[in-house]
Amino acid sequence: MRPSILAAGLATALTAPAAAVQAADEAEIAELRSMLEQMRRQYERRIQDLEDRLARAERQSERTSASVAPAAPDPAISQPMRAPSVAASAPAAGIEPAAAPRLPDFRGALSSGMAFNPQISVILNGNYYNDGIDGSGAALIGQALQPSGGLAHDHDHAHDSGHGHSHGELNNGFNFSEAELSFTATVDPYFDAAAYLAVMDEGDVHLEEAWLQTRSLPHGLRVKAGKFLSDFGYANKQHPHAWDFVDQNLAYLNLLGDHGLQDTGVQLTWLPELPVYTLLGFEALQGDQELFGATLGAEDQERLGLDATEDGPRLWTLFAKVAPDLGLDHALQVGVSYARNTQHQEVHAHSHDGEDAVHENALAGEADLWGVDLVYKYDGSGPHGQGDFKFQTEYLRSSKDLDIQSSPHPEIIGSRRTFTTDGFYAQAIYGFAPRWTAGVRYDVLGLTNEVSGDAHLDYGSSDRWSLNLTWKLSEFSQLRAQYARNDILMAANERERFDAFYLQFLMSLGSHGAHAF
Amino acid sequence: MSFRFLTVFVGLYLMGNAAAAPLDVVATNPSLGALVRAVAGERLEPTILAGPERDLHQLQAKPSMMRALRDADLVVAIGAELEIGWLPAAIAGAANPAIQPGRDGYFEAAAQVELLDVGGPADRALGDVHPVGNPHVDLDPVRMARIAAALAERLAQLDPAGAEIYRNGADVFAQAVEQRVADWRARLAGAPGVLLYHRDAIYLLDRFDVPLLGTIESTPGVQPSGQDLLELTTKLKGRVGVVIHTPYQSPQAPTKLARDLGWSVVRLPLAPPLEADGAGYLHHIERWVDAIAAARP
Repeated sequence: MRPSILAAGLATALTAPAAAVQAADEAEIAELRSMLEQMRRQYERRIQDLEDRLARAERQSERTSASVAPAAPDPAISQPMRAPSVAASAPAAGIEPAAAPRLPDFRGALSSGMAFNPQISVILNGNYYNDGIDGSGAALIGQALQPSGGLAHDHDHAHDSGHGHSHGELNNGFNFSEAELSFTATVDPYFDAAAYLAVMDEGDVHLEEAWLQTRSLPHGLRVKAGKFLSDFGYANKQHPHAWDFVDQNLAYLNLLGDHGLQDTGVQLTWLPELPVYTLLGFEALQGDQELFGATLGAEDQERLGLDATEDGPRLWTLFAKVAPDLGLDHALQVGVSYARNTQHQEVHAHSHDGEDAVHENALAGEADLWGVDLVYKYDGSGPHGQGDFKFQTEYLRSSKDLDIQSSPHPEIIGSRRTFTTDGFYAQAIYGFAPRWTAGVRYDVLGLTNEVSGDAHLDYGSSDRWSLNLTWKLSEFSQLRAQYARNDILMAANERERFDAFYLQFLMSLGSHGAHAF
Repeated sequence: MSFRFLTVFVGLYLMGNAAAAPLDVVATNPSLGALVRAVAGERLEPTILAGPERDLHQLQAKPSMMRALRDADLVVAIGAELEIGWLPAAIAGAANPAIQPGRDGYFEAAAQVELLDVGGPADRALGDVHPVGNPHVDLDPVRMARIAAALAERLAQLDPAGAEIYRNGADVFAQAVEQRVADWRARLAGAPGVLLYHRDAIYLLDRFDVPLLGTIESTPGVQPSGQDLLELTTKLKGRVGVVIHTPYQSPQAPTKLARDLGWSVVRLPLAPPLEADGAGYLHHIERWVDAIAAARP
């Protein structure tokens, strides 16, 4: 048979029955069509529903074909479910990535996700800052006058001990405070570990924390070791992104420095089996501090006849936190903390009328610090934090017991000087609308200023009022505006009163972290 | 004075021990608390960490939770990252190795059943997405019956003396669920559908083939814009349905949508009351069924 005949035959064979059927069914189809039209008119809603159901059924069958991927869960499985487990199990089951089920209204770029271990997050912290005194205010709030340290005290020594950056360093205009990288993971059944790096705007990288913590000790015991933020007080162990205000309070800034008690050592905590939450803790730390238990550089020590920096550990802390159970909506925690640094050195410079020479008295001894803290939180149950309330307050009292080791005035060498300064802050945050909070803070340094126990210096205190407004757009981003009215004591009878205004952004990239209380 | 204080203290301590059940079980929400009671009956009394009107995804770790977890033999969580913002911190703070994930003392309900919304891109442009799957399994009674069976096995493993009670409890609960499901299925057949705020009741809708007409938030965890609401209204105009939202979701948008569509709006918690047991849980599902079934043309 020739191809043309074949083709013709085939065409006839295909079209002939179709034509016959077409003629016979024409009427029927018309009828069907009109019925459909009728149905459409009468049951449009129902049809819509049926369409919905069909779509659902299709989605479901897609899902069931794909849900073979995460291997059927073992009924006794006790692993926490995490995103990476899906990503890891899908290719193992041989499912094409394209067949992965999608959200019903899929709008994003397909990505496989990544099985991160450790969990990684990056927090970007930047701001716009303006004060009425050419941007010098941000540094001044950390250099308020106090009996010890504040008197022409050599602030540069902090740089010798490796704390070359400052979280408070702001210029008028735009500032990038830091990008905080955090890595956390369970190492094995015995340890959890974490590392926090701060990358400053010039590119310097600083290790904020790097520690291990036990997870399987019995009797409520836990040990932490490495470099970490001490559990002294309440605000001390919070990273800047967790603060409710853009900057640290005056008490911490002036008594402990920009980083608070951040040191290398070990911590032991015990949560005894009591009806009331009671956490007891002890820390032994190296003692390299910016302000509390600071030591001078080796060169200065030699020049001023001071002892070399002693072997560590030099900083010891004790703390207790008690939290009565006030039901599901309220939480209250009260804490008492004590810290002692066994070596503290400082230089007091002065000059006499009519002389050019600057006289330096070098002092050395020990430093003690007491802290009392109280935190109350109310869960207002409204949408996205509406009605939530948080009140937080701390009192810190630092006293330094020093001897004059060297001086241009030989008659005072060996005499004892004690310096006591205290500080306090109280702050409240209220969720006045979903995703919006308003905050107010009062902080003060130097309610007490004493030298050698008897001389109450009457130059007064430095204080500040701060107000802020925070907008949490989602769990991962927030914007904050803050205004502060500062009254900072620069020298006896010399005050700097200025306003400061901040606009801050905090962006949280990556894994979904959990904050401690 | 201090002696009296000490006596009270020791007294309280002993009281705490005197009432000691064979196992100290902590549940993260009242649905799971109800399930523990359904399985264990009088034998165990769970401590529940959050009330029914709380968003388990937004909760914060509190010292009282750590106190409760300190002596726990078993923590029963929903899992699948629902409690990710606070439970890991609370467990770590409790210093109790027995309830660490991976140990017998850690039980995740979502890990016992197959999940919906699994996969999808891990892209936060899509909001607070969790590719591991939708965690809100506790609104599906059938899945809960399966979770109860798994929970009974876990309890039996931790407390062999009560094994029979636990297995029997799970069976009784499964039968009760089976009995009700047929009735619920009949009542919900042909229900026009539900508009939710968040995809938090999809397991219930999926179980009874009730159409999900949409979610008020177009992106999980992100506030809906006026444009989103307008689009929803346009899309659903002329149809029949009901708006259901939870107590912790802002009522403004649901109320406005319901008014514009001429629908009713119902505020229902995702979990039963704190004191609920198995029957209380089923009653809670009944409330949801009532609300969905009431929305007929």
